[in-house]
Amino acid sequence: MAKHTKLKQENLGYLLGTYVLLIGILLFLLFPLYWVLNTSFKTNMEAYRYPPTFFPHQPTGASFIKLFLQHNQFFVYYRNNFIVSAAVAVLSCFVAIFTGYSLARFKNWWNKAIFATLLVSQMFPVISRMISLYVIMGKLGIINTHFGLVFALLAAQAPFCIILMAGFYANIPKEIEEAAMIDGSGRWKTLLSIVTPLVKSGLLAVGIYAFLMTWDDYLHAATLIQTDNLRTLSVGIALRYLGELSYDWSFVNAISIIGTIPVVLVFFFFQKYMVKGLVAGAVKG
Amino acid sequence: MKALSQSRRNLFFSIILDVPALVLAVSFIIIPIIDSVIKSFQEFGVRNIISGKPGVWNDFANYLYLSKTNAFSMATATTFSFVFTVIIIQFIVSLALALILNTNVRGARFFRSVMMAPWVVPTVISALIWMWIFQPQYGLLKYLVRLVSFGAVTDFAILNSPKTALSGVVVAALWKQIPLMSLLLLAGLQNVPEEIVEAAMIDGAGKIRRFFSVTLPYLSPVIKVSISMSIIENFKQFPLFWTMTGGGPNNATTTLAVLSYREAFVSMNLGTGAAITTLWMLFMIIVIFFYNKLFRIQDLG
Repeated sequence: MAKHTKLKQENLGYLLGTYVLLIGILLFLLFPLYWVLNTSFKTNMEAYRYPPTFFPHQPTGASFIKLFLQHNQFFVYYRNNFIVSAAVAVLSCFVAIFTGYSLARFKNWWNKAIFATLLVSQMFPVISRMISLYVIMGKLGIINTHFGLVFALLAAQAPFCIILMAGFYANIPKEIEEAAMIDGSGRWKTLLSIVTPLVKSGLLAVGIYAFLMTWDDYLHAATLIQTDNLRTLSVGIALRYLGELSYDWSFVNAISIIGTIPVVLVFFFFQKYMVKGLVAGAVKG
Repeated sequence: MKALSQSRRNLFFSIILDVPALVLAVSFIIIPIIDSVIKSFQEFGVRNIISGKPGVWNDFANYLYLSKTNAFSMATATTFSFVFTVIIIQFIVSLALALILNTNVRGARFFRSVMMAPWVVPTVISALIWMWIFQPQYGLLKYLVRLVSFGAVTDFAILNSPKTALSGVVVAALWKQIPLMSLLLLAGLQNVPEEIVEAAMIDGAGKIRRFFSVTLPYLSPVIKVSISMSIIENFKQFPLFWTMTGGGPNNATTTLAVLSYREAFVSMNLGTGAAITTLWMLFMIIVIFFYNKLFRIQDLG
């Protein structure tokens, strides 16, 4: 009997410890997000109150209104970021369909070498590439263009996309293709209209991954883009709103929210595919 | 004969399919990497960019310059201590979170979904979020430190002191990266066969024993992949440093990424910048080599 209560107490302590730990970690992950929301809805006067207030006493959307009405340049960066991220996402899918399939189906020495190269390429520092691309792309006249930026970024995202996609193709039984070929379907038709539709959800994961990673880019745009009107979000924010406006923290927090909303929406809307894709890539690959 | 031509046709088809990726990899990764290694042995600055003249071999002057000042060795030490600290803490916290969410804690599914939010926040914005929390006059952290220390410490500004600035960036890096590692480890935990855990339980293995002799070995491939992803990401980390501290104060947060960027794109000494990234690449190769070796030994054991 005594032993029984002791066991129960031990379990209770364990359970309590678990919850404390869980709440602690979740507070660390989620409270900063609340803090951004909280600050963005304060007046700038209140944002500068010390000790800080834990919810806005006079909630106001003034910072957002200011951003929408007075800061057109922010939306130029925003639009550029959309254009570049969407282009990289679509092109990544395109490359991942072909090369991913090839790597999964044809295990010859050639493809093994490509697979190894793609894996290793992830390791190299971006700055090392940028030092050279800055000069080469300058000579080719594609520096300071979205075209050049998109291809430099595509090369950075494509390796992981291809490896991920190869994993999805590898799960499709070969018999399906062989049956289609016997029925007279050519190689290209088999790939594009029979096999690829079966990995649609994987392709979606790849596209979203490329979109999220490109949305986050800083280094490529910082080195390859010099014209303000061509700048993307991260560099635009860092250059324009950190220097001159870093004293208006309510406004900076409003920028943080508007800059994050698209990716949060994309992620939570497609979370099911995204999580499956990432897990498949890392756990199996 | 037919079999041979079939395999040849397969090779041909696969080469065609590989062309887009190959063109991309060669022109935007392989050539630039080789070119920057070459540049590291050259005098290459603004003049070369403007005039379009190729760089000139300068008898290892870039490397000699790095060995003369202690900026490079300090940046190397800072980079390694950043990567090491982030990975150790990240692994422990992520594993704890994954283990908790893998039990039938109330709300586990909901938490699993919302915990991913920091991961999607763009890096520069996560830097802004933490800069505001760390703000020296009105920041939340200053207030919390005052509360916890019962008013003893009233002017805590983590990013402003060379002693603590690196930990400030570590916190921001952890915040963004813990979600993904937890997600991957959680997926790995769900692949651990329940029968074996139960069998160990029946055999009288305690919680801790079960964790080390059953769960951990099954989890080891996932651990290997997620830590190597983390090593690569943190070695490369640039925007967090550049936005939060710019490498300061007093170069306390100048990592190899910050140093090479500053040398190449602020001072416009592309040759010296390339020398830094070349050595940095060598470090990466060595680290990944030993890392793989470590896990191979563990796999054998």
